[in-house]
Amino acid sequence: MKYTETHEWIEEQGSAATVGVSDYAQKELGDIVYIELPQKGIQVKAGDVVCVLESTKAAADVYSPVSGTISAVNEKLKEQPELINRSAESEGWIYKIQVSSPQELEKLLDKKEYYKK
Amino acid sequence: MDFISNSSEQQEEMLKAIGVASIEELFSAIPEAIRLAKRSEEDGLSELEGMRLMESIASQNSYYQFDSYLGAGAYAHHVPALVAAICSKSEFLTSYTPYQPEASQGMLQVIFEFQTAICALTGMDVSNASLYDGASACAEAVLMSLRINKSRNKILVAKSVHPHYKEVIQQYAGNNIVEVPYTSDNSIDHDAFNQLLIADTALFLLQSPNVFGLVEEAKKLFSLAHEKGVITILCANPLSYGLFASAAEVGADIAVGDCQPFGLPLNFGGPYAGYLACKKEFMRQLPGRIVGETKDAEGKRGYVLTLQAREQHIRREKATSNVCTNQALAALASLVAILWYGKKGVAELALTNYQRAAYLRQQLSAIPGVKAQGNNGYFNEFVLAFDKPIEDTINYFKSKGILPGFPLKEWYPSHKNSLLVCVTELKTKAQLDHYVEVSKSYAKHF
Amino acid sequence: MQNIFEKSQPGQKAYSLPRKEAVWNGFTPPQELVRHTSLPLPEISEIDLTRHFSLLARRNMGIDTHFYPLGSCTMKLNPRVNEWCASLPQFQRTHPLAPIDTVQGNLHVIYSLIEFLCDVTGMAAGSLAPNAGAQGELTGVKMISAYHAARNDSGRDEMLVPDNAHGTNPATAAMVGYKIISLPTASDGDIDLDLLKKAVGPKTAGLMLTNPNTLGLFSSKILQITKIVHDAGGLLYYDGANLNAIMEIVRPGSMGFDVLHLNLHKTFSTPHGGGGPGAGPVFCNQKLAPYLPYPQVLKTSQGYTVQWESEQSIGHIATFFGNFAIYLRAYLYALLHGRAGLRRIAENAVLNANYLKKKLGEIFTLPYPQHCMHEFVLQADRFLDKDVRALDIAKRLLDYGFHAPTIYFPLIVKECMLIEPTESESKATLDSFIEAMQAIAQESMANPELVRTAPHTQPVRRLDEVQAARIPKLQALIS
Repeated sequence: MKYTETHEWIEEQGSAATVGVSDYAQKELGDIVYIELPQKGIQVKAGDVVCVLESTKAAADVYSPVSGTISAVNEKLKEQPELINRSAESEGWIYKIQVSSPQELEKLLDKKEYYKK
Repeated sequence: MDFISNSSEQQEEMLKAIGVASIEELFSAIPEAIRLAKRSEEDGLSELEGMRLMESIASQNSYYQFDSYLGAGAYAHHVPALVAAICSKSEFLTSYTPYQPEASQGMLQVIFEFQTAICALTGMDVSNASLYDGASACAEAVLMSLRINKSRNKILVAKSVHPHYKEVIQQYAGNNIVEVPYTSDNSIDHDAFNQLLIADTALFLLQSPNVFGLVEEAKKLFSLAHEKGVITILCANPLSYGLFASAAEVGADIAVGDCQPFGLPLNFGGPYAGYLACKKEFMRQLPGRIVGETKDAEGKRGYVLTLQAREQHIRREKATSNVCTNQALAALASLVAILWYGKKGVAELALTNYQRAAYLRQQLSAIPGVKAQGNNGYFNEFVLAFDKPIEDTINYFKSKGILPGFPLKEWYPSHKNSLLVCVTELKTKAQLDHYVEVSKSYAKHF
Repeated sequence: MQNIFEKSQPGQKAYSLPRKEAVWNGFTPPQELVRHTSLPLPEISEIDLTRHFSLLARRNMGIDTHFYPLGSCTMKLNPRVNEWCASLPQFQRTHPLAPIDTVQGNLHVIYSLIEFLCDVTGMAAGSLAPNAGAQGELTGVKMISAYHAARNDSGRDEMLVPDNAHGTNPATAAMVGYKIISLPTASDGDIDLDLLKKAVGPKTAGLMLTNPNTLGLFSSKILQITKIVHDAGGLLYYDGANLNAIMEIVRPGSMGFDVLHLNLHKTFSTPHGGGGPGAGPVFCNQKLAPYLPYPQVLKTSQGYTVQWESEQSIGHIATFFGNFAIYLRAYLYALLHGRAGLRRIAENAVLNANYLKKKLGEIFTLPYPQHCMHEFVLQADRFLDKDVRALDIAKRLLDYGFHAPTIYFPLIVKECMLIEPTESESKATLDSFIEAMQAIAQESMANPELVRTAPHTQPVRRLDEVQAARIPKLQALIS
C-alpha cells in the first residue's frame, strides 16, 4: 500500500488499483455524512480531484494518486458513508482505477514514511 | 444620543484594569498620518428630534395619496397584523444566525416550517431557508443547474422574465444567456423555443405568471426540455400557486421566486425574500442555509443547520455560493402570512386576486380605443394600451388621483404606449369602477 | 414540541377577506392551467398561531435577552426607535417603481445616507443596492474586474486573500472567476510584507483585506501594504465587517483602499433577525465610481432623480433599490449619533474588548498578546487533557445565560474563540461574563463531564448533526 501527501492510499492489484483515504484523514474529517462518488469510465490524471467527502464540519477533496480510467466505485458508500470512518483503509475503499502510467506509483510514500509526517 | 452603557467612571476603571492611561493608547497601532482628530462637537440628535426629522422626511412622499395600480415584481397586499406582532418579538428580531442550535430552536423551527410551506406551495421535495430576493434565487438556480448539468453550458431564459431578474442572472452566470422571445399576445414563442433547445443547453428558466401577468403553458415546454436532458426552472409568484398548477405539476426540477406577496410590505423594494426549492435528487446542490430535523442526546426532537459543508464558511473558494445570510426575519413574516391564510385562505386569496383583475380587464376591453390584452390565463396583472402617448395617459390618470400602472416601454421598447396594470385584493369594486370611468372619459375626449 | 403542520385542525382558520361581489363569480381561469393537486398547508386558528410563535420565541436567545459576544458579528443593541421609523406607513407603503416625484422622501434618505457613509469611509461614491455583505463583496470585486477590463489590462486573474479572511471573501472572488492566492498570516497576526511583495505582480487584480483583521488586530503596516499592491497595478478591497472599531478614528479611504462594503446589520445596528435581512452597501473612490451598480440617485435643482442605466456600470445586483427598509434604520441610527457619537462607539467598542481580553487572558491562552481593537482571539486549549474544547465551553456558557462567542473562526487558530462585546455593554455585564468564564474554567478541571455534556438548561441537549446530514429531513410533510 502506498500513500500520497494529500492523505489518499492506493493498493495495486495487477494493472488495476484500489484507492481510498487514510485513517488519519477520516479522523481529521470527523463523521463522514456524504460522498459524491466519481463516474465509472471517466479518465483522470494524477492530482485531479476525483470526488468530495463531506462531514458536518468540512468538505475535503480526494485527489487521484495516479492517472488512468475509473473502473469501479464502492456503491456501498452511497447508503453507508460511515464505512470510511469505520474502515478507511479496507472496506471504506472509494474507487478502482486502471492505471495508465505505473511509474507514478514510485513517487508515492510507503506506509512508514506517510505515518511519520 | 448614543446607546453606550458605561459612564466615564466605569471607563476609568476599565482603563486602569487594562493598564493604559487613555483610550487613545489603544489606537496606537494606527499610523499618526491617517488618524482623525475628533471632528465635531456633539452633532447627534435626541430621540424626539430624530423621530420628528424622519416624520418630516416621510411626509415628502406623496405616493400614498394616489390609488396605485403598480405591480411589476412588487405587489401591494394586505399584511396581517399578526405578522408585525410576531416579527417584532425580541427573540426573533434580535437573534443571530442559529450557529448554536441549542439556543436557537425557535428560529430553526421557524425556518424548518418555512421550508415546509414553500414545499407545500410549489410541490417540490426540498427548499432552502430563503435567499435575498427572487432575482438572486433565479441566479442561484441557474448556477445550480450548471453544476448539475456539468457537461453543458448554454443558458436558456424566457425574454418575459422580469428584467431585473435577468440582469442579476447575468451578474452571477455570465453572458452565455440566450433569450426566448415572446409573441404578440405576450406568451412565449413555442416555435422559437423548440429551435433554441439545442444540444448544449443546460437549463431553461421560465417565469409564469410572466412579467406581463400571463400564465404560460409550462407543462408543454418543460416536457420538451426534459426530452433533451435540460434542467427546468420555474420562477413564480408564490401566491399564484393558490390557484394555478404547482411547479411539480408542470414538471419543474427547480422552483424559485420572491415571497414578497406574502407578509412583506412594499418597503420601496426591500427587504423581500427569495425562495429556492427543488426535487430531492438535487438536494445536495442547493445553495444557502438549510435547516434539518434531528434528535438531541436525550432523543428529543430538535433542529439544526445542516448540509453546511457546501457553504462559504467551510468550503471557502469551492463553496456552492458566497451567500452568507438568508432573509430569516422576512421568511418568518412570509410564513406567518401563509399560515394566517392557511389551506383554504391561500386558495381564496389567489382566486379573489384573479377575479378582481379579470373584472377590471373585462370592463376596460369594452371601451372603444382601449386594448386590454389577454385571454383568461392572467394573474394579478395584464397589459393595457390606449392609442395615445403613454406620458399623456399617465398624467391624465394622475390628475384624477390614480397611478394607472407601470409604463412598459422602460423595459420593453416595443410596448411603446402600454401599461402593466396590477390588481390585488386591496382594490374594491368602487375603485375598479372609478378606473373604468376615468378610462372611458380619457378614451373619448383626448 | 410539535411543528405547526402537526397542529392543523380541519375547519380552523385565522384569515378574513372582504365579502365577494356577485359580479366577480363569473371569472374562472382555464381548467388546463389550474392547480389539481392539494395545497397541504395547515388549518389553524389565530390564537393557536399566536401561541405557537410565542412559544417558539421563548426557545430562542436574542440581544434583547442575552449578552451575545459573537466575534465578527457586532451584536450591539438594535434600537426600537429604528423599528418605529421603518414602520411609518409613508415609507412602508411606497412602491419601488413609483413616479419619482411621489417618493422624494425615500430618495432623500438614500442620497443622504450614501453621502454620510462616504464621509465616514473616506470614499467618493456609493450604492446601497447589495442586499448583504456577501453581495457587497461580489459587487466590489466585479467593479475591480470591470476596471481592469476597461483598461484592457487582461491577464490579471489572481486575487490575494489572507488565510484568516472570512469565508465569503475567497468564495466571492472565485465566483467572479479569480484564482485565489492565499496569504499566510505571520506569527504576529499581521501580513508578512516580504511574502506580499513576492505574491504581487502583473497577474494581480487585487487584495481583499479587512483592517482590523479577523483576529481583531490593526495592521500598522497598512500604508505599506496598500502601496505594494498599487505599485503592482492591483486594487484594494476593504471588507467593512470590522468598521465598528475605527469609525471617526481612521477611514479606509485614507488607508489606501479603493472600494469597500459595509455591513449595516453589524456596524449600524439594523436587526440581525435570526440571520437576515441585512444590507451590504458598497463605496468607492472616483476611479471606480463609474462601475457602481444601478440605480443611482442624483440630486438636481428640481429635486432627486433616479438613473436606471449607465454605460460603464456593472449593472443590477439586486431588484429595485435593495433593502430600503434596512437603510431607513441605519440612517436614523447615524443621525442620532452624529460624528461625535460614532467616534464614541469605536472608542467604547475597543475599550470593552481590551478589558475583557485583559481579564480573560488570565484564564485562557492569548495567541496575540498585543492590544486588540473591537474583538480578540482566545484559545481554549488548556483543558484538552480533560477532553474539554472550545465547543464544550461555548455550550456551557449557554447554561450561564450567555450566548457563546464565535468558535473555530478564524480557521488558523486552534480551539479558537473570537469575542466581540461591542460598545453597548456595561462593565457589569462584562464582569458577569468574566465570572462565568472563570467558573467554567474551574469546572473544566474539576468536573469536565459537566462541561462536555453541556448545555443542560436549554430546550434541547446537544443535537445529532451527523444524522441530520446523513439522512436529511428538511421539511415536515415527508416522513
